[in-house]
Amino acid sequence: MRAQCKLIAPLLAIAIVAMAWIAVGMLVTNSYYQLMLTLVPIWAVMGLSWNLLSGYTGLISFGHAAFFGLGAYTVTIALVGFDVTPWLGIPLGMMVGTVAGIVIGYPTFRLRGHYFALAMMAYPMALLYVFEWLGYQEVPLPMKREAPGFYMQFSDYRVYIALAVGLLVISLLISLAIERSRFGMSLLAIKQNEPAAEAAGIDTLAWKMRAIMLSGALAAAAGGLYAVVLLVVTPESVFGMLTSAQALIVALFGGAGTLWGAPIGAAILIPLSETLQAQLGDVIPGIQGVVFGFAIILVVLLAPEGIFWRVRDRFHRTRAARKVPAMAMAPRVAFGKTAPVPPPPERTPILTVSGLSKSFGGLRAVTDASFEVGEGEILGIIGPNGAGKTTLFNLLNGFLPPDTGKVVFAGRELAGLKPNRICRLGIGRTFQVVRAFPRMSVLHNVVVGAYATTTNDADAFAAAREALAQVGLAGRSEAAAAGLTNKELRLMELGRALAGRPRLLLMDEPLAGLASQEIEALLDVIRSLAKGRITVVIIEHTMRAMMRLAERFIVLDHGRVLAIGVPDAIVSDEGVIEAYLGKKWASIRAHG
Amino acid sequence: MTSFGNFVEIFLQALTAGILLGAIYGLMCVGLGIIFGVMRVINFAQGEFLMLGMYFTFYVVAAFNLLWFLGPAVGPYTGALLAGPALFAAGYALHRFLVSRVTGISVAGTEGEGHYAQLILTLGVSLVLQNGGLILFGSTPVSVRTPLSARAWEIPLLYDANAALFLNKARAVAGILSVMVAVALYWLVNRTRLGKTLRAAADNAAAALYMGIDVDRAYRIAFGIGIGVTAIAGGLVATYNPFQPYIGLDFVIIMYAGVVLGGMGSILGAFWGGMTIGLVQQLSTLVLPTQLQNAAIFVVFLLIVMVRPQGLFGRATERI
Amino acid sequence: MLTVESLTVAYGGLTALCEISLVVRQGQFVSMVGPNGAGKTTLFKAISGTVQASAGRIRFEDTDLLAVARSERAHFGIAHVPEGRQVFGSMTVMENLEMGGYPQTGRRDWKRNLDRIFSLFPVLAERRAQAAGTLSGGEQQMLAIGRGIASSPRLLMLDEPSMGLAPMVADLIFERIGELHRDGLAILLVEQRVAEAVQSCDFGYVLEAGRVVLAGTHRTLLADDRIRSVYLGL
Repeated sequence: MRAQCKLIAPLLAIAIVAMAWIAVGMLVTNSYYQLMLTLVPIWAVMGLSWNLLSGYTGLISFGHAAFFGLGAYTVTIALVGFDVTPWLGIPLGMMVGTVAGIVIGYPTFRLRGHYFALAMMAYPMALLYVFEWLGYQEVPLPMKREAPGFYMQFSDYRVYIALAVGLLVISLLISLAIERSRFGMSLLAIKQNEPAAEAAGIDTLAWKMRAIMLSGALAAAAGGLYAVVLLVVTPESVFGMLTSAQALIVALFGGAGTLWGAPIGAAILIPLSETLQAQLGDVIPGIQGVVFGFAIILVVLLAPEGIFWRVRDRFHRTRAARKVPAMAMAPRVAFGKTAPVPPPPERTPILTVSGLSKSFGGLRAVTDASFEVGEGEILGIIGPNGAGKTTLFNLLNGFLPPDTGKVVFAGRELAGLKPNRICRLGIGRTFQVVRAFPRMSVLHNVVVGAYATTTNDADAFAAAREALAQVGLAGRSEAAAAGLTNKELRLMELGRALAGRPRLLLMDEPLAGLASQEIEALLDVIRSLAKGRITVVIIEHTMRAMMRLAERFIVLDHGRVLAIGVPDAIVSDEGVIEAYLGKKWASIRAHG
Repeated sequence: MTSFGNFVEIFLQALTAGILLGAIYGLMCVGLGIIFGVMRVINFAQGEFLMLGMYFTFYVVAAFNLLWFLGPAVGPYTGALLAGPALFAAGYALHRFLVSRVTGISVAGTEGEGHYAQLILTLGVSLVLQNGGLILFGSTPVSVRTPLSARAWEIPLLYDANAALFLNKARAVAGILSVMVAVALYWLVNRTRLGKTLRAAADNAAAALYMGIDVDRAYRIAFGIGIGVTAIAGGLVATYNPFQPYIGLDFVIIMYAGVVLGGMGSILGAFWGGMTIGLVQQLSTLVLPTQLQNAAIFVVFLLIVMVRPQGLFGRATERI
Repeated sequence: MLTVESLTVAYGGLTALCEISLVVRQGQFVSMVGPNGAGKTTLFKAISGTVQASAGRIRFEDTDLLAVARSERAHFGIAHVPEGRQVFGSMTVMENLEMGGYPQTGRRDWKRNLDRIFSLFPVLAERRAQAAGTLSGGEQQMLAIGRGIASSPRLLMLDEPSMGLAPMVADLIFERIGELHRDGLAILLVEQRVAEAVQSCDFGYVLEAGRVVLAGTHRTLLADDRIRSVYLGL
């Protein structure tokens, strides 16, 4: 309900901006300004398309000119070669852009970081050479005097302005829809922490492909309209480096990862550079490039997230200073002295690990690990530094394929499944380093974890609220994540994993660095989870706390399972003492 | 001459041209390789520094004729070599004032989120230099003329009295000088104390700090050297090729393809990578029309990145 | 020689070290033990400068170390042998040692130090031209220690030298460390394996959750059962 109310503001904003723009367009008679009013929305669309892929996922593309150029040439070749009107040519170009997105995306998404950016840069450059070779040095669009409107040629320039604004509105609506839906949230989660997103059940490759397909379509549309407006296409102008750079800088300058960033960036940068080009272009050719170059440098140094976020943060900071945030503390269960831990009752095994091994080159990280986890128990995995505990989790979770061995969860074999599949089967995971969306509310941070197990947003948010109640953060659900304490961040991370309604929860060092009171709070929550039939497996070092929490321990050392048993037995076990304190300790103590 | 003999002659010609060109490409790639290998920084402006090396040589030798005393043959090459130290200073300053701010290197040992910021920052620098160059130098192609560019050595091929290999003197000298500079650089990096501290900082910045090595300074020096070396390559190219301010773009992909092919992190690999690209380009003239040659390089680049991103010479445990 | 006073290191809301104080005197062997996450490595990092101290003081002889730029600290005579060895994998054994000898003092005593290193660890002499990344764990640890000695330090800090090593190799390493101490080098050792650390030290500290919970001579510590509880939570 509340989400729908929130839609009114941006929709209204879009409508107002569109109408105002067109109104101004109607009034302007100078052809140069008319061109400007047309170009700004086109580049805003280009920036939005870049934002859709790179702004949301964090995979920086230096090659959006590829889609732009393909769109421009589709429209041009369709008109010149086949007499097809741009009214059809542009949608056709969008389809070409979508296909290009698939063709480019599928192999390129396997690359990381710089390789991705470099490869993306190569595509438009290659296309540039290919089109030059094909003979399309400079292709003017022919004038169709017989039926100009049918061919999207208008003597009254103001129609072009309206068309450009129309395309912008469509792009804004698409971006808005994505931003507010799980599409956008999933992309943001990927940007924030891709492994965690995978582990939370998000099929990262599928979402990235969707993003690039849509991005390609929009960029191609922008290119197509650009061709129609300028009436001439050259490989350099549409496939060139400056085009890709413009898409990037327009979005970055205004603010990446947000709806209004690209329009703001376009509205500021395009008139600036075009005016400079017009005034000084004869005297100082290349002034456009210099301006964009400096804009990029300044943005990166001073406002790496763009103007939009800068302004918004400043605005929010002044507002927040006046309000004192209401702190709803989770009710603390009265906790007495350590109760003797009863022996674990007979439980049905929910996870069976047999003969699991993993080596990296010569290093044997995990060797022949076998154990069972009973449903509803709290199992602690302990061991000295470098014993292989996190590797074990990565094997259980699907991040690493085992060399040998089997993992069976609730009757299903997990070998070879991707982490998001494993999450959907019912295994959740928390990570040591919590990376939250700082500007989003706790609720929005957590809801990402519910996408794997729900089909619509209402259910997802309901699951998220339930999870927050389970961890005691219900009162903080609307607070921005940036203001949370360490303990609350850990609880939020736990909430995200719980939103997927897991049957088994893998927790990686949830207590690290917390003060003793905070540890108590977390222990309470974990115990309540176990009572709710969720099985919990924890890696931890904070032994004092673990002693009171875990029913059983598995001790790992040098990748092998050293001992499995109840706490009392474990701490008296000679082998365990040896692993932690060293072989000599026992003998020294024995002989004084 | 038989058509086979003809083909052999053409093939050998392309091969020799490829080797000479490859040597210069190799030097360019070495420059980028140092920057990427040592600092894991992708410098999008590398092509522009190549261009600046060309213009430096041009202005010193042709426009202002500062090296008149060396004569028309030696002057240009000396100018090209001088571009190295000059652009080293520019690169050092660029790193000190701009690149280091976004690299997050000053927190040694942490894998910075700064990678994207570096990419984008150097993209901005590239745009400024390209277009600034256009403003300062104009768009008319210029060249550094030497009397050697019009002459060639003729090497008779023994199997036929009429067959011969023509080595353009300017290109040959440029190629030989490239190899010499590359060898000098290899010596610098592997045998001198400075070179070893650079490699140490590249290998493990935190440990290097524990040794008392000023890692920040090492990065600046490495960056400067990388820029300087590429600038020398540019100066050498200038002795036989005309150029204009946008020429950097033509070479950027060559440099990246060469570095990736050779294996990021290996300077020797970068040289061989550049050499390979030069050979591919020249040999492809035998089968492809001119414009598609460059497209061919992109295809090679994309293939390497997809199929074997660690390149021919791999990474990490190998000596450079 | 080395005095740490009320050192606090906090970042990102976590307090890694809380008002730690310790002293290493000339020629002394000081051990620091404690479970994982207790902050032992953080202390070394604070001394070397890779981590910022939030409060407190570190003095080495007469110098306020916190006022010294971190790339200079090694030149004062403190050698840091880091956790996990951290050798320069792409460089040869000899080059690694040369890097160790980078400070002025290292260059001055280079010949003598090299002989010392090779007599302590003959296997390094054998493998001097080999790439450090191809050495075994134990050999890398020896190299790391050799690298530390190459700077002619007055204080040698070792962070978990036995980690990931087979017991026999770890024993050898500890033996050599003892030898270095007997020759007059001050040693600050951090270890998770308590026995060796406590047995060979003159004075020891037990860290837990960023605080010193126990301190004393090695005799005192050996007799104290609380160490086991610190590790195993009883």
